[in-house]
Amino acid sequence: MRKSIRTLLDRLPLQFRVLYQQFLLRVIDLEAMSIQADVIGFLGQIAGVLIMFSMIFAVRLVGPTLLMTPVQVAAFIRGAAWSSEQLAISTMMLVVGLITVITWDATFPDRRDVLVLSPLPITPRTILCAKVSASLSVLGLAVLMLNLATGLVYPLLLGSLHGSPFGVLRFFVAYWLTMAAASLFLYGSVLAVQGFTALMLPRRIFLRLSAILQLAAFGLLLGVYFLSPAIPTLAVYRVPENQWWLACSPTYWFFALFNQLNGTLPAELAWLALRAWIALGVVVAGAAASLLLCYFRTMKKTVEEPDLVPGARGLHWVPHFGSPLQTAIVLFSFRSLTRSRQHRVAFAFFLAIVFAIALALLRGELSATAPEPLSPNLLASTFMMMTFAILGLRCGFSLPISLTANWVLRTTQLCPSQKYIAATRRSMLLLAVVPVWLVSALLSISCRPFAQVAGHLAALAVIGYILAELSLIGFYKVPFTCSFLPGKTNFQFVLWGFLVLSFTFMVPLMSQEWKALHNIFDYVFLLSVHIVVASVLWAFNRHRAKSAVLYFEELPDEIITTLGLVSR
Amino acid sequence: MLELRNVSKLFSGIPAVDDVSFSARPGEVTGYLGPNGSGKSTTMKMITGLIEMTLGHIYFEGKAIHDDLIAFKQRMGYVPEEPYLYTHLSATEYLTMVAQLRNLPPRESSQRIDDLLRLFSLHDDRHASISGFSKGMRQKVLLIAALMHNPQLILLDEPFSGLDVASSLVLRSLIQELAVRGKVVLFSSHELDTVERICSRVVILHHGKLVADDSIERLRSLMALPTLEKIFSQLAVEQDTESIARQIADLIHA
Repeated sequence: MRKSIRTLLDRLPLQFRVLYQQFLLRVIDLEAMSIQADVIGFLGQIAGVLIMFSMIFAVRLVGPTLLMTPVQVAAFIRGAAWSSEQLAISTMMLVVGLITVITWDATFPDRRDVLVLSPLPITPRTILCAKVSASLSVLGLAVLMLNLATGLVYPLLLGSLHGSPFGVLRFFVAYWLTMAAASLFLYGSVLAVQGFTALMLPRRIFLRLSAILQLAAFGLLLGVYFLSPAIPTLAVYRVPENQWWLACSPTYWFFALFNQLNGTLPAELAWLALRAWIALGVVVAGAAASLLLCYFRTMKKTVEEPDLVPGARGLHWVPHFGSPLQTAIVLFSFRSLTRSRQHRVAFAFFLAIVFAIALALLRGELSATAPEPLSPNLLASTFMMMTFAILGLRCGFSLPISLTANWVLRTTQLCPSQKYIAATRRSMLLLAVVPVWLVSALLSISCRPFAQVAGHLAALAVIGYILAELSLIGFYKVPFTCSFLPGKTNFQFVLWGFLVLSFTFMVPLMSQEWKALHNIFDYVFLLSVHIVVASVLWAFNRHRAKSAVLYFEELPDEIITTLGLVSR
Repeated sequence: MLELRNVSKLFSGIPAVDDVSFSARPGEVTGYLGPNGSGKSTTMKMITGLIEMTLGHIYFEGKAIHDDLIAFKQRMGYVPEEPYLYTHLSATEYLTMVAQLRNLPPRESSQRIDDLLRLFSLHDDRHASISGFSKGMRQKVLLIAALMHNPQLILLDEPFSGLDVASSLVLRSLIQELAVRGKVVLFSSHELDTVERICSRVVILHHGKLVADDSIERLRSLMALPTLEKIFSQLAVEQDTESIARQIADLIHA
């Protein structure tokens, strides 16, 4: 098998193979995401997570049937079929969408590629094929892994209801065709939007808009996933409030397509399947056209028009955030976060997830027309937003923006390290804690009574401060400057950190706060505890900062272990 | 005065700079020369405190720089060999950040940055991202960052790199003017013609060791050679340059 794949690959043109390998490595920033910057290890981890999701979905459908009679099984599967199918399709679309958005620039020619490859005898067609193949390889792997279990179990269970092996086979083919079509639709949509924006706008403006589009796509994907209603039956389908979602959300179009392909689509839903076909056609044609135009007509323009956003000619107000040093570090952090695509995407990834979860939790509160009582959901969602924003920013702080330029910070280090550490803390507070607190205040505007809202916001501010202090223990660096050991960013650390924090602390903390908000004495006690914890952390970090040495390069762990064989 | 005494730097036991001693005096431009890999930039980085020396001492105005590195950094301006900058910032933002890090008074530094940008012909591009700057423009930003706090010691590592003719002429005069005003200027370059014009003394390094430290005039008369280029070739160039060029051409042609 391996030999035949190798033979097949060897038949491909050498230029294509070399470029494909290069582009594949760049599809996902391995340095930022993987544990040891190890390609195989990273892909293995991602595949593992996706397979786990697939198994959970499969068990969700199979598990309850184990103790049922065949008649009960058939009734159960019929009842759960639609919601299971919708969940599988929407999750797959979310995963594909997120990968496509994270690898936003991977398919289009960038300035570096044009500068390096243009002088070489390589045709744009080869570059295009290599880039598209690299992107599709990663997406294909994700789709395959995410459907590994469900792609077998769903057709087997749903198809068996139709009583013939042909039914199972038809469901199997329909399932995989639908998943491939839905993935292609999302991938093509992102390419088409990006491609036509690049073609229509001057490159400088496109670069600025592209970043906004990327963040908007994040929010849209997560918002749709968490806010879309489940349509488990025809009766729910007919509910007028759901018609807007059915018309606008591609999840339902591809759900209808799946049922059309397996032959179980009610006539009432045929228009949704038609929408899927039309959307797929439009998007594939649009993506192909924009890619061809970008590669064959405007590729050279990426060199002629610099990646330079024109500076505004108007007023340039420089805000102050304390001493000149603090102002310099805060502004540097803010500009690095907002202007570097890699950092922005990494941070937005965390923010988008948590804001989507928060939106899902607060669906009722947001749609309320009259003032609502303060709910445990609001407490939980604001706490989650705070935690994720701080962890996300702390993770971003560790990613250097330009190691070679760090000499300027080292040659101008005229203040003791503790001043730099204080400036880093201020950056964390201003860029994570304050914005989330403001969003929380905005979300709770419609809640009553005001005293409870104010109480929660005060507690949230102190919790934000505690989390910021916790996240900066041992962080003796200027944000975005320290070189890090490959993969040390520990993308997973943030996710696991969040899960541990959420489940260990959030539930008891929120239930305590919820009770305390209804009793002034309990509240004062709770807030006092928070303030004491914050004060202890404040004193601890300041004490350690006094003897800290600012560092710009992480050193590998000591690999020589002393045996402690001291002669007495 | 800047003084290096028996300074050495070893990387994994291999000497990059080997027992180098020389001094650079106020009021004169000291040229620091050597072939690629001879240890010039390593010496510069040791003086700035970017890398630690393995052996030796560096003194500025009679005091060991490591006794009070912060005070020393306050009086030093440095232009590195490569124009590495935070390219996501604009020229004004970068220079303002450097001024803030140096704790310069905001109002005066802002005015000074503006004036320097104008004099270096960067004023029109002051709000554009450095990522779009040419090598010469980046070099000018580095020069402004190195000079805006009026340092007493100026370390210039290949400062003419990427500059156009007019800017090079301005910089040449500027270096001389700064020396006349009593600054200590240590200037490293491969452009021997420029070095010959603006430096009063030269220090030549070869394989990390000092091979010459004297005024250009004295070297000329001692070695009975007419130009700095000939002196440099004799002291620091081991290869038959014409023969190597011929061999390369033959290899390409084959």
